[in-house]
Amino acid sequence: MGAPRAPLEPPTPEQSAFLERAMSQYGKATYNFAFRLTNNEADARDLTQDAFIRVYRAWRSFEPGTSFLSWIYRIVTNLYRDELRRRKGRFHEEIPEDNAPQAFRGERPLATNPIDDYVDRQIGEPLSRALADLSPDQRQVVILADIEEYSYQEIAEIMGCSIGTVRSRLHRARALLRRLVERAQQQQQR
Amino acid sequence: MIEHLSNDLIVDFVHGELEPAADARAHAHLVTCATCTSEVNAERTLREFLRDAAVASEREMPSGINAAIWEQIRAAKPGPFAALTSLFKPMIAIPVAAVLLAGGYFATAATHHESPSIAASYYLQAHAVQSSQGPLSERTGAIRAAVAEAYDGGYPATAAYGAAR
Repeated sequence: MGAPRAPLEPPTPEQSAFLERAMSQYGKATYNFAFRLTNNEADARDLTQDAFIRVYRAWRSFEPGTSFLSWIYRIVTNLYRDELRRRKGRFHEEIPEDNAPQAFRGERPLATNPIDDYVDRQIGEPLSRALADLSPDQRQVVILADIEEYSYQEIAEIMGCSIGTVRSRLHRARALLRRLVERAQQQQQR
Repeated sequence: MIEHLSNDLIVDFVHGELEPAADARAHAHLVTCATCTSEVNAERTLREFLRDAAVASEREMPSGINAAIWEQIRAAKPGPFAALTSLFKPMIAIPVAAVLLAGGYFATAATHHESPSIAASYYLQAHAVQSSQGPLSERTGAIRAAVAEAYDGGYPATAAYGAAR
């Protein structure tokens, strides 16, 4: 992603070992989470890379005994949100809390690679299609609640918002998803 | 008229996020209400679809990400503060301290040219006295005699000592 980066310090042996273990154990989960968020191969790569660089920088702030996955999902969430803000400049205004669910069909992907996009849509078409119609925040809460199976409390901590916000985003996302499913079923019946 | 469960409540129920009392009421209602049971099943089906689709579309992390991260880290250079603190590491600090101490010692020696405060003759006299007073000295008697003779003859004690040897 295009965020400015402060220079890195060379690693200590402990720091290298920590990062290596983190990438081997959680690299796949982190990449899949990033891919579901962005629905785009190139952005998922950048997001995963930036997240692990942030893990490298802040490895001492990780508290042993807590969930590493929750920690790195929070990092990915923040990086994704920062990037959306940077590119669009008005991320929050796009998701009015009190309005009815909205479809974001016109949302421009963060990076476009036609071949990657084509392959991705062939592989994960049902999920991509279902999630693509949600706003970034709604998509994220559905991924965390339904795919990653986090509790509302955990999702609130990862996303940095209240449980009430998680609840309302999930309610709207689920209502929209069900409408999409019903519409797909009607189209199949015709 | 039957009071059905709201869609939001059904979502929370399916995600196991209702308070115990509300959860019990929902369970009790679902036993008798086919409409709400159907809604709950639909929500569960949707959840299963999302999860199954996620598992089916799961992919490995591209190896290029791993390489790019390590490449970025290998290119890291220590900042000015890190360079300063590295001076305090033992491998560097010990030789540096040794050089500083040696330099300080030689600088001090070069600036102080004091003559010895005790003359060499003092040691000669002290040695003569100790030798003569030692209880096991074989020359004790001869020295005493020589000293006495020297005094009697008007020679200084040192000359008498030299004669005794």
